[in-house]
Amino acid sequence: MKEQVVELPEEISPEWVSREHFRLMESSKGGVLKLDCGKLHKLDALSLAWLAYLQDTLEKSGGRLVLSRLSPELKKDLAKVTLPEAEKPDGKEKPGLAARVGESTLKLWVEMRDTLVLLSESLYWSTMAFFRPKTLLREDIIIQMVRLGSNALPIVLLLSTLIGFTLALQSGIQLQKFGATVFLASGMGISMVTEIGPVMTAVILAGRSGSSITAEISTMVVQEEVGALHAMAINPIHFLVLPRFWAMSLCMPLLTVLSAASGIFAGLVVGLLFFRLSPASYLHELKDAVTINYLGQALIKSLTFSWIIALVAINKGMNVRGGADAVGKATTSCVVTCIFTIILADAVFSFIFYY
Amino acid sequence: MGENAKLKVENLKAGYDGKVVLDGVSMSVAPGEIRIILGASGCGKSTLLKTIIGLEKPLGGSIEMLGAKVDWSEGRPSNELMKRLGVLFQAGALLSSLSVGENVALPLRIHNPGLPVRVVEELVRLKLEQVKLGHAYSKLPNELSGGMRKRAGLARAIVTDPELLFCDEPSAGLDPVTSRGLDDLLLELRDGLGITMVVVTHELDSIRALCDRMTFLAGGKVVYDGKLDEAEANGPQEVKDFLERKPGEVKQTGRTIAFNVEDV
Repeated sequence: MKEQVVELPEEISPEWVSREHFRLMESSKGGVLKLDCGKLHKLDALSLAWLAYLQDTLEKSGGRLVLSRLSPELKKDLAKVTLPEAEKPDGKEKPGLAARVGESTLKLWVEMRDTLVLLSESLYWSTMAFFRPKTLLREDIIIQMVRLGSNALPIVLLLSTLIGFTLALQSGIQLQKFGATVFLASGMGISMVTEIGPVMTAVILAGRSGSSITAEISTMVVQEEVGALHAMAINPIHFLVLPRFWAMSLCMPLLTVLSAASGIFAGLVVGLLFFRLSPASYLHELKDAVTINYLGQALIKSLTFSWIIALVAINKGMNVRGGADAVGKATTSCVVTCIFTIILADAVFSFIFYY
Repeated sequence: MGENAKLKVENLKAGYDGKVVLDGVSMSVAPGEIRIILGASGCGKSTLLKTIIGLEKPLGGSIEMLGAKVDWSEGRPSNELMKRLGVLFQAGALLSSLSVGENVALPLRIHNPGLPVRVVEELVRLKLEQVKLGHAYSKLPNELSGGMRKRAGLARAIVTDPELLFCDEPSAGLDPVTSRGLDDLLLELRDGLGITMVVVTHELDSIRALCDRMTFLAGGKVVYDGKLDEAEANGPQEVKDFLERKPGEVKQTGRTIAFNVEDV
């Protein structure tokens, strides 16, 4: 067996270990490594951990570790050393594919059920509030309307205008081929009112207001604030859920109308500048195309989307368990779930309205 | 004690996420008494408190408060009962979006929507003065120090004049002077208003200042129930050790490593 002698420095520092460890391991594979401890005058936690590790790995590869020229004090220290046992893995097998699929399906089901329960409670207490107006916290609803709704107005208007602009330009170019630019107004009107307006507003509000609801409520849960509400006999449905539910339900249709209007206005500008349409013919065509039926669709859609956002966001916030990382995860998952559900609901609506 | 006990816990089994933390815990708190719940970290003190105040559903046994059985048949204990309790949470648990004054006013505002705003405000100022926070009315919770937040939490807990007050580690993490001040405050409340209190703590100084009777928990069971001086004189060894700050026996586990040592 080959033997290698290495002299240890006075003190084993983290830098020394990171520099020398792999070199030592490499050069003494399967042989005897003799460490000359003549200079060493301290055995701290790092040295012990390193020596123990070195000994383990060397022995596994058929080698041996020998410490030579240890001072009597260090020898005494070394005899006393016990290293704490590493935690044993708890022996649970990792669940298989089927188990994991089942578990997440179950979780999804529970989440859907919770959201529907939240919906029924919100509707129940909202109805009750008509009979006992004092239970409704009007001030809080107004605060939430400002925070969740009117503060989102600039971004909703800006994005809707931009989308309207692009849409008008692209469809206008196609229509021009057939000399049918006059139908730009009807196309813009119907798509902005029934589709782009509600969906755009909902997606923006999901990202902006939904995430803020989840972040706020989950932080409150993590900091025991919701527990404190329970302990004060304050129903979180009244105090946290209803103001947000009402604020979203009231703001969303309004924002949707404004979003559609700004998109249609962008279409008008495009028609004037690029396709020589007159404002009068644009508006006339628009009035003919966008019937009350379409406005009703927009209203139903935007109200449904607002409930999706409010309830998914609140539910994600309420069910958070853990600390700061759980708040982050809940917020992400809220936005993803909201946008997915909104687009799914939109598809379902298209099916219902057109067939 | 006996029939007119303010709080009676019988054979309580409690835990969460399918894990049983407490099993067979019983205690009875007489009117005007300050009951200390004591035990090493992780022995289930907070679980016991959470279960009593209705944040966790008990897994078994019964709880009776202010002469009424806590009923979970509607998914939560009844609001009428909860309104008569005060709870001081470990970190105060103030709502961070409301000012201190609004926080303290919250239970009043929600439970009595008809109360004139000025009356609520006066009452809140009075309670804040009582906990020596008169100057903090319009501050936000995150502008306060830990001790002030706890005192504000206490003001909120007593604003509805509860008959039974629960405190979760009122003096944990506070400097000795502030913690002493908080203890004095609790004593004043008991002597002045006759509030019955259940205090979870492991600060020995607080225990000496406050304790009428104590319940010592270990391993999910009640190890001792009685007066402090009796516990010091002839209580179980575990309780005595705790009160004298002696660490119990620590089991050494681990592996000894046999190094090959060579003499030259």
